[in-house]
Amino acid sequence: MSFHILAEAKKIAKITLAGELDSLSAREFQREIEKVAAEGPDELVLFVENLTFISSAGLRVLIFAKQKIGTNLAIYIVQPQENIVDTLEKTGLQHSVNIVDKYM
Amino acid sequence: MENKTFPATLDSLDDLRDLVREKALLAHLDKKKTYNLMLALDEIATNIILYGYEQAGKEGVLDVITDLSDRQLTIVVEDDAAPFDPLQRDLPDEDDFSKPLEERPIGGMGIFLTINGVDEFRYEYTHNRNRNIFIMNVPATEA
Repeated sequence: MSFHILAEAKKIAKITLAGELDSLSAREFQREIEKVAAEGPDELVLFVENLTFISSAGLRVLIFAKQKIGTNLAIYIVQPQENIVDTLEKTGLQHSVNIVDKYM
Repeated sequence: MENKTFPATLDSLDDLRDLVREKALLAHLDKKKTYNLMLALDEIATNIILYGYEQAGKEGVLDVITDLSDRQLTIVVEDDAAPFDPLQRDLPDEDDFSKPLEERPIGGMGIFLTINGVDEFRYEYTHNRNRNIFIMNVPATEA
């Protein structure tokens, strides 16, 4: 029997968000998502330790990412502050993203 | 009572959130309530700026009136855009929120967060102005 091996590297897009994500800054975030969408990543990792505010405009960009890149995209939200987790939970978004303390 | 005027542009959101933070501090609201009030104001102001003014090709202002009593912190946002009652909008419900992201309705989230974040939210249209009213109960201070 011959040996076969198939290796495939996962494509991971990493973005760090800090400060306040409102409808003004969400435009910038959306442009960034459009850029990474072109690469067709498998995973979108958002480092948000220093993100202190997110409005629905920011949440809509997350939904946009999923719609643009595809349903198989896994979104990781790394180290969100309590108020942000709260908003993700209130809007049911926590079911569609992975909230983690650390991205391995 | 205090009145502050902001240009109806997205750049004002930052200053608006600062104003809310400042008033919430005076009212001794806790961190969570402060955040929720800030979010509520941000959401409604965004709607007014984007849909009331920008999309309508109008320029204008937001007048923000704050009033702090022993019991309540009241913030009123007034604008001259076309009448729009956020409470008349169909809001997403639990069902929508449990759908996968790609099937979710994209609108209504901001108003949902607004109504859920404050102790009382009211809307009125008087003297040709929209008035969005946000009320937070102030924690009782120890005597």
